[in-house]
Amino acid sequence: MILKRRTFGALAAAAAMSSMLVAGAGHAQQSGGTMVMVTVPEPPNLANYLSTSGPIGQVSTKVYEGLINLGWDFEIQPSLAKSWEVSEDGLSITFNLQEGVTFHNGTPFTSADVQYSIMEVLREIHPRNAATMRPITAVETPDPMTAIFRLSEPAPYLMVALNAYESPIVSKALFEGTDPRDNPSANAPVGTGPFTFVEWEKGQYVRLDKNENYWREGQPYLDRIVVRFIADASTRTAAMEAGELHYAAFGAIPNIDVPRLAAMDEIDMSTKGYEYFAPMTQLQFNTTRAPFDNPDVRRALATAMDRQFVIDNIWYGFGKAATGPISSNFAAAGIYTDDVPSYAADDRIATANAMLDEAGVPRGADGIRFKITHDMTPYGEEWRRFGEYTKQVLAELGIEADLRYEDVGTWLKRVYTDYDYDLSSNWLFGLPDPVLGVHRQYHSNQIRQGTVFVNGTQWSSPETDALMDQATTETDPEARAVQYAEFQQRVVEASPIIFMQELEFVTVYSTKLQNAITGPMGVYNSFADMWLEQ
Amino acid sequence: MLTARLTFILRRILQAIPILLAIMIINFLLLKLAPGDAADVLAGEAGSATPEYMAELRERFGLDQPVAVQLVKYLGRVAVLDFGFSFRHEMPVTELVLDRLGPTLILMVTTITIAVGVGSLLGVLAAVGLNTWRDSFISVLALVSYATPLFWVGLMLILLFSVRLGWFPTSGMETISAFHTGWDRVWDIAHHLVLPALTLSLFYLALYTRLMRASMLEQQGMDYVTTARAKGLTDRWITFRHVLRNALLPVVTMAGVQVSSLIGGSVIVETVFGWPGLGQLAFESLFARDLNLLMGIFFLSAVLVLVVNLVVDILYTMLDPRIELS
Repeated sequence: MILKRRTFGALAAAAAMSSMLVAGAGHAQQSGGTMVMVTVPEPPNLANYLSTSGPIGQVSTKVYEGLINLGWDFEIQPSLAKSWEVSEDGLSITFNLQEGVTFHNGTPFTSADVQYSIMEVLREIHPRNAATMRPITAVETPDPMTAIFRLSEPAPYLMVALNAYESPIVSKALFEGTDPRDNPSANAPVGTGPFTFVEWEKGQYVRLDKNENYWREGQPYLDRIVVRFIADASTRTAAMEAGELHYAAFGAIPNIDVPRLAAMDEIDMSTKGYEYFAPMTQLQFNTTRAPFDNPDVRRALATAMDRQFVIDNIWYGFGKAATGPISSNFAAAGIYTDDVPSYAADDRIATANAMLDEAGVPRGADGIRFKITHDMTPYGEEWRRFGEYTKQVLAELGIEADLRYEDVGTWLKRVYTDYDYDLSSNWLFGLPDPVLGVHRQYHSNQIRQGTVFVNGTQWSSPETDALMDQATTETDPEARAVQYAEFQQRVVEASPIIFMQELEFVTVYSTKLQNAITGPMGVYNSFADMWLEQ
Repeated sequence: MLTARLTFILRRILQAIPILLAIMIINFLLLKLAPGDAADVLAGEAGSATPEYMAELRERFGLDQPVAVQLVKYLGRVAVLDFGFSFRHEMPVTELVLDRLGPTLILMVTTITIAVGVGSLLGVLAAVGLNTWRDSFISVLALVSYATPLFWVGLMLILLFSVRLGWFPTSGMETISAFHTGWDRVWDIAHHLVLPALTLSLFYLALYTRLMRASMLEQQGMDYVTTARAKGLTDRWITFRHVLRNALLPVVTMAGVQVSSLIGGSVIVETVFGWPGLGQLAFESLFARDLNLLMGIFFLSAVLVLVVNLVVDILYTMLDPRIELS
């Protein structure tokens, strides 16, 4: 009961912070109803212990739970762990587990499941946790309700990663003795969460029913969640408009349709609930190729790009100009700074042209300085428009750019395996700690041929390497803030990447839906506290 | 006659085997030409991955072996009807493909029935009333429906009938939050089928209308029509008893070719209406570089084409007894 009150306390706080929830705060929760959401694209499987793919997480986080939940501003809240204690030296974390929790197949949840999930599944086969959980040397289980993590070095970024999306706790009984990569639960997940998996009609929907034995008393409120898959964006908009859908997140409704839908009485929208991902759009240079091996040339291009123009005209006003490698989401945590070299200019084009003249890439007789191919991120129309804008800006600088748009597999191979590109647009998740999401693009040990979304610019410096190494194990928040401030300044100074904007995604949802967005993970929350006005 | 037909069928089945083999080998090699592989795409969706993880994926998918070895291994498995495992879906390919076959067939059969039936009828009407308002009206209609992009027709139908009028659901194959069973389910699926089948048939219908009209006109100029008329038969009898039957031959040929293309050709309609068919699955797997799954779908389409061709050849002999199976 104490826990329940605490959870509601956190919710109330969240509601106060985000104005859109005000409507829900006054009413009493009603139970029942089927909530229909749409997820794009259809996930290939539901194994979020095996993949961090977004659509997988949107569905499986209703079935699996993690040790902790994340509240607004990344406040760490209890979930399967009801409390925890980090030792003085940061080398061990003791978790007291929630009692009376059972998996959907009836087996009780104990510390053995935690031990197995962390050491045998997540640390072994999860694409991100293989790195995040590297410092965990052992998980001890002195009794069924206690799990102690032993670390080889302090890992201040570890706690946030123990949420349901990133680190789901699976049942040891189901997995033991099998290869976790080939477990049948990949398509029929069995977790401890508020909703149990019922069926998946591929190409159509996933059906999740209320877990009657859920450990949070009275929850979940919904009887059923149906996750639909509709490949066409216009059809999704029509389905939302026709009232067939209650919830569409992560760009499922295209930005161009959002204002029209949001103007309807039955539909609300919000850009909250994506703080965990902190997605940022970028233009990344191949810093091993002339002339982009010259930082002066890169800085000139960074000066020429008009970030606000791109946000207003290409992303329909959703977004915020970026200043450097770390998202402004981290302002509350103290590790974001806007005190970095600024590339603002009154006349961007004239300034950039002057910079290029000085950098030693003069215009030729035909007015052209050099020719490049600009690769566009193959994620849809906005990226093409962004590429066209970039081409125009470059043309004004005397740089002739050919545009190239390939499919995802081809583009990834070009940028991260063959390094066969000059300038590519890109977008990466910042994730809830720079160690998880940011280091991979800048550290020299992240220049890993054939691995995607790491350091594809191949730029690094001993100073920034050292700063990142220090921040990785620094447990003092203030010292960490100083390290990251210097890191941001040095990276922006070198400009291996033009930081364009902090991308804003939109969640569109029915006004009947209460507690639609309750934290920085948005659609990746468990929806245990979501309810439908009948 | 019957034994002749059986021998013919058997011989065609035997001939089909090398054709299938060639199709599989060419498809496999073509797919291998595409840059990037399933591991790249999976890791790309994951947003990040360690090199060890990528290497492990490739080893698991068998992508670390030479192409020739992969091909031989694959063909060996197909020979015993094992289409392998889709690592992306964590499911056997056979199961995935068969799951989608039902909805594909429902959409395909309805569409081809409407398209051929209504199309032929309109064609006959146009030909019979040559150069009258009826002919012009039908011809213009056919032209417009053929020239309008499928996705646009689909979206407009959704806007009109689903969003504005609320008569039909926007998308999907069933009312998923209801979970109907029995006849309710059949009715529900039929309700969902109306718009996608209409959209898809409009396009093909135009083709059959034009074809049937031209074919009827061509047949009407033949000597046997003059003979029939000289014999004193009524125009109606000549049209339906003699001309129509002969005019149907090219339509049947066309339908044979199109049944097979409908499997892939309905990608757009499946996408717009969220219909869970094979086309969409093939489309997704192509971008995901899900080789096993794609090859499974290709195999099924190839078999379908061969079977339909065989059926069409047999149909010929029924429509025109002068054509013999040899």
